[in-house]
Amino acid sequence: MPPRIRLQTRQLKVRIYHHQIPSQPCFYASLATATTPAPPIEQTIHSVSPIARFPPTQPPSHKPPEVRKSQLHREYQSLLKSSPLILIFQHNNLRAVEWMGIRRELAIALRKVDAELAAAGQKDLYADAIKIQIIQTGIFASALRVVEFYNPETTELPTQHPSNPATASSAQIPNVKPTPEDSRLAHGLSRRAHEAASDRKKKLDLAPLLSGPIAVVAFPAVSPQHLKAALSILSPSAPNFPAPKRKASPSYHEPAVQNGIQKLMMLGARVDGKAFDQEGTKGVGSIPGGLDGLRAQLVGMLQNMGAGVTNALEGVSRSLYFTMEGRRYMMEEEEKGPEEKKDVEETKAE
Amino acid sequence: MITRFLSEVRTSFNPFSPLSKTARTFLAQLPPDARSQGMVIKSTILPRTSTQKPELAVKFKDGKKLKLDLATMRSTEVMAEVDRHSRILARKEELSG
Repeated sequence: MPPRIRLQTRQLKVRIYHHQIPSQPCFYASLATATTPAPPIEQTIHSVSPIARFPPTQPPSHKPPEVRKSQLHREYQSLLKSSPLILIFQHNNLRAVEWMGIRRELAIALRKVDAELAAAGQKDLYADAIKIQIIQTGIFASALRVVEFYNPETTELPTQHPSNPATASSAQIPNVKPTPEDSRLAHGLSRRAHEAASDRKKKLDLAPLLSGPIAVVAFPAVSPQHLKAALSILSPSAPNFPAPKRKASPSYHEPAVQNGIQKLMMLGARVDGKAFDQEGTKGVGSIPGGLDGLRAQLVGMLQNMGAGVTNALEGVSRSLYFTMEGRRYMMEEEEKGPEEKKDVEETKAE
Repeated sequence: MITRFLSEVRTSFNPFSPLSKTARTFLAQLPPDARSQGMVIKSTILPRTSTQKPELAVKFKDGKKLKLDLATMRSTEVMAEVDRHSRILARKEELSG
């Protein structure tokens, strides 16, 4: 059947309009030849690499890792592990201005110590690493429990991680599930760490200190010189830890700083994992000449001991010699003795 | 806690004893400008080996002295005890204008 509406053959033609914009050349997608890049040979001979269950730097943790609490816990653990000397202060309602002044004075005093050490040719300069910081007391106590009571054995986590490009796709990787229940996870926020630390029968020495408003000063090494400088700023006491003189550092004697220091109370310290009270800490701070001074003392002591040992050993032979000599002398005397007596008798007889 | 009427606070405690918590909380509750307002605050920190009980001696502006045995008291009880006299002083002040 012919179409009802007659169409002219001219109208059936498909028209292609050439709207050529002078600045833009015209391309037709339909005219382009589609070139799909061939897959690399690696992909064709290996299968798809195994699936990463979690990023290697973010193993699943017991508490949700994104909350502030968990992050602080992690931060405090690393602080406790990396600093062998931590001073613990209570701060009673310090104002921001007072904190600012105290921080400034502490930094100045520590830099002075560093300058002295650098002048003496030492390389243990810690001034920039030592700061006073306010902590969340409960979280800090919990982190301390983990650091003290949780000693993970060698972790059984796979050394080959799926997301590592070096891992062969055929590698047999144990299925580490992205759940905190997995017992192979052994990091500080893991469930194992939580269980080890939540054993209430274990008591911390520092536990009674960790309540109320607490600030800590963490030192990256047990350095008596730096400790002395910090103590003389933060809790000055007359003979060993004098506050800087008014002439030497006038900014220390500003009312803001002085008011702040009155409100700081030193409670104790943690030195090499042991709890120290105020006096013990001052004892550590008053080691003359720092660790080098201690070493010098030890060397001196050992040398004295060596001299003593040689004296003692020599003494034995010497005393033996003397006794033998003495004995010889005595025997000679005895031999001589009767003859002399005879002489005496002879003279009497005459 | 009403701290307006305190003129002197003396404490001594061993921070390594769990009983010291009350004394430390009390000190933490004093306002930041307490010293500049003329309050005398003295705290003695005892050595770790000391078995002395924590003490708190408070003096009010009217001269009344209060000595509290912190070994048996909780922080709230200490506050209630101090506030009891402070409220009397506050009422007196209010009435006298």
